[in-house]
Amino acid sequence: MMLYRHLLLAQLRGAMQYRVSFVLDVLSTSLITITEFGAFALVFSRFQGLGGWSLVQIMFLYGMVEFAFGLTDMLFDGFDSPTFAQHIRKGTLDQFLLRPANLMIQIFGSSLSLRRIGRIVLGIGIFGYAVIHNPQVWQLEKLWYLPFVLIGMGLYFGGLFLVGATITIWTVDSTDAMNLFTYGGKEMMSYPMGIYSDWLRVLFTFLFPVALLNYYPALFFLGKPDPFGLPAWMPFLAPIAGFVMFLVALKFWQFGLKHYQSTGN
Amino acid sequence: MIQVENLCKHFEIRHRHKNSWAVLRNFLKRDSSTLKAVDDISFSIQKGEMVGYLGPNGAGKSTTLKMLTGLLVPTSGRLEVNGFVPWQSRQKYVAQIGAVFGQRSSLWWDLPTIESLELLQHIYKIPTARFSSNLEMFKKLLDLDEFLQSPARSLSLGQRMRADLCAALMHDPAILFLDEPTIGLDVVAKQRIREFIQQINQDRGTTIILTTHDMADVQKLCTRAMMIDHGKLLFDGALSDLQNRFGGQRRLIVDFEEPPTQLKLANATIISQEALRITFAFARETRVAELISALTRDHAIRDLRVEEPEIEATIRAIYEGNLLSA
Repeated sequence: MMLYRHLLLAQLRGAMQYRVSFVLDVLSTSLITITEFGAFALVFSRFQGLGGWSLVQIMFLYGMVEFAFGLTDMLFDGFDSPTFAQHIRKGTLDQFLLRPANLMIQIFGSSLSLRRIGRIVLGIGIFGYAVIHNPQVWQLEKLWYLPFVLIGMGLYFGGLFLVGATITIWTVDSTDAMNLFTYGGKEMMSYPMGIYSDWLRVLFTFLFPVALLNYYPALFFLGKPDPFGLPAWMPFLAPIAGFVMFLVALKFWQFGLKHYQSTGN
Repeated sequence: MIQVENLCKHFEIRHRHKNSWAVLRNFLKRDSSTLKAVDDISFSIQKGEMVGYLGPNGAGKSTTLKMLTGLLVPTSGRLEVNGFVPWQSRQKYVAQIGAVFGQRSSLWWDLPTIESLELLQHIYKIPTARFSSNLEMFKKLLDLDEFLQSPARSLSLGQRMRADLCAALMHDPAILFLDEPTIGLDVVAKQRIREFIQQINQDRGTTIILTTHDMADVQKLCTRAMMIDHGKLLFDGALSDLQNRFGGQRRLIVDFEEPPTQLKLANATIISQEALRITFAFARETRVAELISALTRDHAIRDLRVEEPEIEATIRAIYEGNLLSA
């Protein structure tokens, strides 16, 4: 952990050498998020909600995933497919393997996409606004569960980044296909499940458990009934789903590294 | 220190075809062959030795080095370095070795060089006293002061190599692996790197294994050379043995006081003659003293010198003519 801190601080000092580029990066990603959310809010203010969800309720859903995804995206930047492809191509992965320190910590410490800060701050802002305007949430017996949901989402997305990095070991090129699951999954989670057709919803509840991570916990926090009549403990599967996803990803990662050590690049 | 027995590394090479039907066929049927990058190699290296590992591109040098440093797992064979099987206990093992891969840097690109070194101190858990005494020493030997505050990206190739050597040695490794340490450097920079490597080997008893294309590296640094081609170890021994076995003829260049007449030497042939200078070629076993005394008996000689064949030429002859496999 000490090492992780040292590596990150070094990364920050390095990034600060390009101050203008850093500021522009933060500004542009913030702008993207603001526009995204602006368009989103504009549509909903017209329709006064969607599938029985009011704007502030959707903001709860949207802000929670935006924050969790932004934070994970920032921390897992070293595993993000394009970054990791560079590690393989430029031989930095070999350099990491030649150092007596945990490999994953070194990769975590190799890169921190600070430009995501705009997205994270905005996520917190939207989520905070939503919490204030949804009094149903203000209950201690509900709030203790919030960190677990956020960690569950973090583990889920983190696992996806890890899988993306592992695939890169074989392809060496960055794999855009993973964005379908990371960014696509995040987009999907920003809306209530009721708007999707049944087969999609089933797919994203049981096969790719994105509904378990955001939608069901949101039902619990907002005190909304489950329109699909699934068991009452569904909202509490979020940390488990995230944990399982991450564990599977970790196994796949270890398998990938074994392959790397037997073939090189 | 290093024990290698029957080491092999084979790669599966998949054949790819260009036309679109073949793409489908590739997908359905694995069409591959085996490349023996390292093929049944055995050697051992003692503590404090400095060994040059030679071979043309694609001979298997890097593959061997990657196995020795634990980056690659061998297909078969035994490999033990400093009591470790490199790829099995990675973290413990790499703490005891240093490695410099000539075309890659271990420094943080955007950080001042000194900060990279400080990060390595954390990674290798180097005690502060040791860190500063090493830094002092390397600063002097490698003239680091002029660029210690500059980020790695702005260093010249020679400066970067010096910084990387320093980075690889801060934790007092028992073994140092150098892959092409002088590649791309000018003569002065090369010389400086060589002197430094030599000093580390002598003062600290560090075992050093270096791969290189540059024969002068080997000539100046190594008493022992290993040569590999097509994955096979072709030669392992003293550099002078390599010369003796495959070096062919030596040359005697003589400047006469006046144009010589009736010039004839047993055991030597004239290969060129220009004005007063005559070059003889003679077999390796022939004693130079005999040739000289025979010459001075009948002729007035102003100057003479004996030339060893260039080692580079020898090596080239070996690669091209497969002298060793014969």
